[in-house]
Amino acid sequence: MKTYPKTHFLGLLAVATIIGVGPIIFDNDFYLHVAFLVGVNYIAAAGLNVLVGHAGQKSLGHAGLFAVGAYTVALLTTRWGWGPWPAFVASGVVAAIFGVVIALPALRVKGPALAMVTIGFGVVVEKVVSEWQDVFQGQQGIYGVLPLTLGDSSFSTREWVWFAGAVGLVLHLMLRALLRGRFGRAFMAVNTAELAAESVGVSVYKFKVLAFVISAVTCGLAGAITAQQNQYISSDFITFNLSIFYLVIVLFGGKSIYGPLLGAIVLTILDATLARWPDAQHFTYGVLLLFSLYAMKDGLAGAIRSAAQFLFPSLREMPTLPKPSERWKLAREEAIKEDQPMLQARGLYKAYGGVVPTNNVDIDLRAGHIHSLIGPNGAGKTTLLNILSGIIPPDKGSIVFNGTDIGALPPNAVCRLGLGRTFQNLKLFNDMSVLDNVKVGLHSRLPGGFGTCLFGLPSAQKSERAATKEALSILTLLGFREMAYQRAGSLPYGLQRRLELARALATHPKLLLLDEPAAGLNPQETHELTDVIKTIKSLGITVLLIEHHMDLVMKISDHVIVLDHGEKIAEGVPAEIQNNPAVIAAYLGVEDDDEEQELDVGEPSDRSIDFSSLSLPGEKYA
Amino acid sequence: MRRAGLRGEISRASEVRVIAILQAIFSGLALGSIYALVALGFNITYNTTKTFNFGQGEFLVAGAFVAVSGLLLFSGKGLTGNLSPEDVTISRYLLAMVLTIVVVGLLGVVLYYAAVRPFVGATSLSWVLSTIGFGIIIQNSALTIWGPSAMVMPSPLGREVIRVGGAGFLPQEVLVLVISILIILCLDWVMRRTKIGKALRAVAQSKNAAVLMGINVSAVIVLAFVVSSSLAGLAGLLIAPITTASVFMGLSLALKAFAAAIVGGLDNPRGCILGGFLLGLLEALIGLWHAELREISVFLMIIIVLVVRPQGLLGQRIVEKV
Repeated sequence: MKTYPKTHFLGLLAVATIIGVGPIIFDNDFYLHVAFLVGVNYIAAAGLNVLVGHAGQKSLGHAGLFAVGAYTVALLTTRWGWGPWPAFVASGVVAAIFGVVIALPALRVKGPALAMVTIGFGVVVEKVVSEWQDVFQGQQGIYGVLPLTLGDSSFSTREWVWFAGAVGLVLHLMLRALLRGRFGRAFMAVNTAELAAESVGVSVYKFKVLAFVISAVTCGLAGAITAQQNQYISSDFITFNLSIFYLVIVLFGGKSIYGPLLGAIVLTILDATLARWPDAQHFTYGVLLLFSLYAMKDGLAGAIRSAAQFLFPSLREMPTLPKPSERWKLAREEAIKEDQPMLQARGLYKAYGGVVPTNNVDIDLRAGHIHSLIGPNGAGKTTLLNILSGIIPPDKGSIVFNGTDIGALPPNAVCRLGLGRTFQNLKLFNDMSVLDNVKVGLHSRLPGGFGTCLFGLPSAQKSERAATKEALSILTLLGFREMAYQRAGSLPYGLQRRLELARALATHPKLLLLDEPAAGLNPQETHELTDVIKTIKSLGITVLLIEHHMDLVMKISDHVIVLDHGEKIAEGVPAEIQNNPAVIAAYLGVEDDDEEQELDVGEPSDRSIDFSSLSLPGEKYA
Repeated sequence: MRRAGLRGEISRASEVRVIAILQAIFSGLALGSIYALVALGFNITYNTTKTFNFGQGEFLVAGAFVAVSGLLLFSGKGLTGNLSPEDVTISRYLLAMVLTIVVVGLLGVVLYYAAVRPFVGATSLSWVLSTIGFGIIIQNSALTIWGPSAMVMPSPLGREVIRVGGAGFLPQEVLVLVISILIILCLDWVMRRTKIGKALRAVAQSKNAAVLMGINVSAVIVLAFVVSSSLAGLAGLLIAPITTASVFMGLSLALKAFAAAIVGGLDNPRGCILGGFLLGLLEALIGLWHAELREISVFLMIIIVLVVRPQGLLGQRIVEKV
């Protein structure tokens, strides 16, 4: 969490010195070769770490992408007479294209099935290069791959080490810059809670493809360097074990930008050292792998981090918060006129088999109002909210939001148009800090494209500082600024609910959908929530609220919509709703019910609900 | 006359083709039943712990070699050596089967305590690494004991090809199919009809609820690993007479069994069985047409199936509650 630009710079200088001077001092072919391998394995693993560690997509097929890079270089230089440098660059580009190819089916699946798709890709590539002899020469291999050159002479072993090291360093700097900004947060968001990521404007689709492409490029470059250094490539290089090895480097290294480096250094050197005792090589390897896991549950990087924090307790301190800034104000491009129609939904219909949670519902929301959506359990409130926010596509009906038809848009696009939401079952990015959760909310409001972030340009750094400032002012507004550097998952329940709100506010919504924001809150917190919602209204944000706490609903709503069995049975101002016979029937049953006597609802002649008596703290899923 | 001759040739050619297809279907089913056994092993631990043994192929290897050593032992030849066809009688083979199931089952207990239990439930993927590591250890132990060269394991039913019509079948293929189907039916019955099967299914649904109902969840999970490992070991023993026993045979078999489990639906035992047989059949039939395209087409098809049905053919779609 705390950043150490100086430490990083010194570390970088040290690594650069080692890479620069090391090969001159240890001028021994074996050492140089091992150092080269460390570099190549790091290059491959650094990108894979983005995919596995950050975006949370497990791949067991990256040997296939290594092959794509290696064979691109081999074929371009031996068959089509390309020069070594253009071929090297092309290998990255071709690998990127294959990254998209593997990402598209992989996007449809999760968990073990994703592993299977990537395994399948790896096996298909492996078999293509070994069986399609005419082009890829199979096991016999392609000789005469042109090595990279400096001037007129091809690289010496020492220069190869320098080159791999330099590529590794540049890659590290670029990925570090990328992952520390909005892209890194978006990857983590996709990793921990896809739906939440979508609902704050992060396209899960785009970021998964991007992660696959990044990992594909680095694995492809690793393949190209390997083929060019050996001046040879054959299908024997491309094995399932290579895919496993890269994954092992990443997982063993641990969840950190330094993980792949540590993993590559330790595992490559281990492999090379053990190679002297071929009998014991793999055995020891297996034992070390297994037992290192007992000792280091968070990988090597995690173990080093805890050791450092143990030795230097000051490392555990949270960074100091900057001084409170001015009160958060929503920056709006265009002013929204009070009472204008904000959202109009017509004839929304959704059925799951025979169950119809949303049956021809019309909704009209007006700018600047607080609307409430109430109804008994199972009335279809959450489904309606999911339809409005784009998570569930309706079977029929249209939704017009601020003049745009959003009926067929994915949630992230709906969010970018200014429709934010919170979730009834909390969907926070638990492993990220409170501050970062809010910054993910700001994602689509931040400037800075991929290139800007990848190269860590000043504009990216500036936008990052502005994001921190704005996120902190949102936290200040909601009154838990001092928690900014806590892990979101470690917050008490009430604050987690509030963090959902803060994150949704950060998306700069025009309309905010709140799904039971008071669920599980104690009376004090519920009371505070009332004020918070009023504050939100004062910011010029329209609110649609699902709530079971009727006192809260009746106190703050301008307009109440009642659903029952998927149909809208009433709407109007709170006082009307309280006396509406249909609503009373839906909540308490109709008058000639046998149970009527047991329900103490006062005089049958003027039945009206004292809704406050119906609200139970901690109702439903709390 | 020439016409009739030509027609005869064509019909003979098509007859040959039919026979070849029949033979391929039969070997495909036999191979598929091996995949189905190993896939069931993936299913049973996945359902109970959401993990599975990435080194399952090595357990298959262990099964094959334990069986070889068992057979040698029963014919009084020590632990390592060469098996001659007369060493392998039906009774010795069945004894070796029991031995394999017990030894590899115990190995499963070790696997669970050493490589799975410390990491279950953690969000990290440590269990992937630890089971890979465990598999490497098993493989290298096998390498030290039995050496890198493949060992011939004669079939208890001999090598005499059984002829049905024009088609010939290896007796071991018949044995593989019969034993696998018996085991599969038996497992299916246990899972559906017995108390212990219901306990397994309850743990798969919800560990917390199962504990509250008085089920010893940790025992059930250990049992799952025992069954899973035994199934892999059994598969090794069954396939060894067809392919010979080799330390390196595990990976590709386990990979295809995993593919079978995923395509059929990892969470559904019947899906895993279906996936196993489908994969075996596909492989054999494509092999008939273009042997070198076998794996490419099988894995491409798997990817396509998963794109259309991400949960597998018989798997259950998990919908995230919003």
